[in-house]
Amino acid sequence: MKMTNKTSSYQKIKTRLFWVIVILVLWEIVAQSGIFPAAIFPSLLVIARALENSIVSGEILLQTAFSLALILQGFLISLLAAILVSSLAAGNKMFNGLVDTLAAIAHPLPGIALLPLIIVWFGTGTTSILVIIVHSVIWPMILNIMTGFKAISPIYKEAGLNFGLNRFQIIKDILIPASLPYVLSGIRIGWARAWRALISAEMIFGAVGLKGGLGWYIFKQRVFMDTPGMFAGIFVIVLIGIIVEDYVFAAFEERTVKKWGMI
Amino acid sequence: MGNDLKQQEENLIDRTVIICLKSVSKYYRRSQETLRVLDHIDLDIYQGEILALLGPSGCGKTTLLRQIAGFDHRESGSLLMDGHEVVQPEVKRIMIFQDFNQLFPWKTVIQNVVYPLQVNRVGESDTANREIALEYLKLVELTGFEDSYPHQLSGGMKQKAAMARALALKPKVLLMDEPFGSLDALTRIALQNLLLKVWQETGVTIIFVTHDIQEAVILSDRIAVMGRETAGIKKVIPNLLDRPRVVGEAGYSEIYGHVYSLMDINPTK
Amino acid sequence: MKTKVILSIVVFLFFGLILAGCSAMGKGREEKLQIRIAEQYGLAYAPLQIIKEKKLIEKNLPDIQVTWRQLGNTAAIREAMLADELDVGFMAIPPFLIGWDKGMEWKIACGLSSSPVALVVNKESIKSIQDFTQEDRIALPQPGSVQHILLSLACEKIWGDPTRLDNLLVTLDHPDGMNALLARREVSAHFTTPPYLFKELENPGMRQILDGKEALGEEFTFIVGVTTAKLYQDQPEVYDAFLRALEEAVDFMENNPTETIKILAAAYQIEQEEVLKYLEHPDMAYSLEVKGVMKFADFMQKNDYIKRKPANIEEVIWDENDK
Ligand SMILES: Nc1ncnc2c1ncn2[C@@H]1O[C@H](COP(=O)(O)OP(=O)(O)OP(=O)(O)O)[C@@H](O)[C@H]1O
Ligand SMILES: [Mg+2]
Repeated sequence: MKMTNKTSSYQKIKTRLFWVIVILVLWEIVAQSGIFPAAIFPSLLVIARALENSIVSGEILLQTAFSLALILQGFLISLLAAILVSSLAAGNKMFNGLVDTLAAIAHPLPGIALLPLIIVWFGTGTTSILVIIVHSVIWPMILNIMTGFKAISPIYKEAGLNFGLNRFQIIKDILIPASLPYVLSGIRIGWARAWRALISAEMIFGAVGLKGGLGWYIFKQRVFMDTPGMFAGIFVIVLIGIIVEDYVFAAFEERTVKKWGMI
Repeated sequence: MGNDLKQQEENLIDRTVIICLKSVSKYYRRSQETLRVLDHIDLDIYQGEILALLGPSGCGKTTLLRQIAGFDHRESGSLLMDGHEVVQPEVKRIMIFQDFNQLFPWKTVIQNVVYPLQVNRVGESDTANREIALEYLKLVELTGFEDSYPHQLSGGMKQKAAMARALALKPKVLLMDEPFGSLDALTRIALQNLLLKVWQETGVTIIFVTHDIQEAVILSDRIAVMGRETAGIKKVIPNLLDRPRVVGEAGYSEIYGHVYSLMDINPTK
Repeated sequence: MKTKVILSIVVFLFFGLILAGCSAMGKGREEKLQIRIAEQYGLAYAPLQIIKEKKLIEKNLPDIQVTWRQLGNTAAIREAMLADELDVGFMAIPPFLIGWDKGMEWKIACGLSSSPVALVVNKESIKSIQDFTQEDRIALPQPGSVQHILLSLACEKIWGDPTRLDNLLVTLDHPDGMNALLARREVSAHFTTPPYLFKELENPGMRQILDGKEALGEEFTFIVGVTTAKLYQDQPEVYDAFLRALEEAVDFMENNPTETIKILAAAYQIEQEEVLKYLEHPDMAYSLEVKGVMKFADFMQKNDYIKRKPANIEEVIWDENDK
């Protein structure tokens, strides 16, 4: 059992690596071919050097830390709020209707579209970026969790009632674990949306002080026409995306729903 | 033998009623008609007995059992347990479903058993609850599978675990809805024997839904036969065969035939 | 393994086709007479509205096809010119120098306008840039913009450190910056240009504490017209027509104020009286002359905003030698 698990994750990493290398080789071929000016399409070596410089100077690390701190905050707030709201909605028809309506209104609204309003209401600081992240994450999360609650086999709830669980215990110990596959896919969608929202918001808001996050870093490289630096920033975003997907989400899934045979 | 029979019959009459149904009705309203699944049912269930609820598919066995469990509202009538009206599910009546997936998949077997104990503060401590759980897992012969997850168990093992989980709470009544209905014949016999062993050791009252006449005859003290047309219980047949029972032994075919005749099965049609 | 090889070949071919398509598209463009011009929003670009309205380029070169684009910021204009989607871009001097420093093949063709550009504050307590505290925030369009360089110049003059106020900066485009300043929340200063500058100053309590001329220490051209080498060298007749049109537009504005105001009011969707007020501002001037390039270049090179600076003005302004 353990053996197969190990080999399959090893296989996955191998495949991942293979395609990453294919993409990098393609990139280099295009860069070297001179079809596009180097100022638009720099070669890998130049990008790597830009990345190295920004790591040595500490700037990209600082900006990454800033972005990660923001996204984690926004993400946790959204997750907790989404669970709370969905739980309340699961217990009350009227409230459920309200949440449903709100989600229908707010879910399709891109956070960036709300930007002018958010600036007027919350200013241009980190609060506004948090608001945008929460807005981007909370609605898909609520919709997923509510779908998950609805999809739960009634037997679990009835067994719970039979064992004398109160409402709170039913939600905490039955509804949430039973809908975990849905919660997880909500978290995945939410994370992707949060990243997008964060980077775009940072690009638009710019820095308050020197810290503006990765989006700001990329934007700054753009205005100073440092294309390799821009790609270095994008590279860090991709890297974080892969790490979070392969090592955080996949590992969590491995340890929960997969181990429990729920997917 | 004749004396024994008399003795047992007297014992039956002496027994205390634990659950008493008086004129219980349950209707399902559909777009046009009203489906009277249970129509003014009267039934006494005695302390410590195994009562089989037998009937063709769709006759309302599950509906009746869920009434007793307290899961559904009823149209009318009264349903008393120990003199108190049943209005909601309680720990003293635990339901075991036909569905193999009644264990919580996110908990190991032992966690599944321990969790209701914790909620009801049965043991003094978590260790005590664990001890209790282990004891009941041993009772249902699942020792060695404590740390497995439900999806790693066979159907029969899942039902055993569900029995352990239910019994550990020391309910007065076990409500079992065709728990062995989806098992193969051999496993089913093994689990029937296990159930009898557990019953004898714990003295729990069991209401056992089945559509298998043989299972009803082997397990029960009384067989309540339900019919589709009557929307209720046709007849309650006492089943006084000596235990352990074997298919085909003396008296078996008599009871079997009696039940069979009540089931409206007409081979010529 | 086999499938992997085949798959990667397919992927390579796919990309190859896309690339081939891209370059074919680039070459397939007909060498027709055309000029593609990008501007940004604001009164500093007024002569361009006249060129558009009066079709002055077409007048000078009848067969030409003129395309106008309005882009949100200089970076976008630069990128479009790099991608050969534009021939002419209008921008301030510092963003031009950044592109030139990075090896873009472009030079300044002409000046367009001088304009007031100033730092407006909404707090009584701030009388000069020395009065900013750590709680204050200064909004401006983006790092490397003329506003940012002017602020850095002022900082250098006072503290010898051009980055002194950098950690107070908030990047906002002009409309958002104006809203933030007027909201009087965290933003306490905004470095901006007309019409935002004038609108802000109309509000009670708003004061100007620094202007561009003061910061640079001399007059400078606010917006310049920049063209690609390709336009200047390969299509001299188009380049000439464009420059002549611009001259005519500036002359027209001087000689026909009434019509000018009418055209501008329509183009910017503002009242005629307002346009008049803006145009009469003493610092608002339109001319093809280019001033201040070397001063900006000196400062930017000295403080690492650019790595090299032009040895003489001919390196960054088109002249006969480039032909
Ligand atoms: N929730 C419901 N809504 C409407 N009708 C229902 C509902 N539940 C059951 N019924 C109907 O009530 C009747 C009795 O159903 P019930 O499940 O009690 O039968 P059963 O005897 O348990 O059958 P089986 O042996 O197949 O399990 C059936 O005709 C069924 O269609
Ligand atoms: Mg049933």
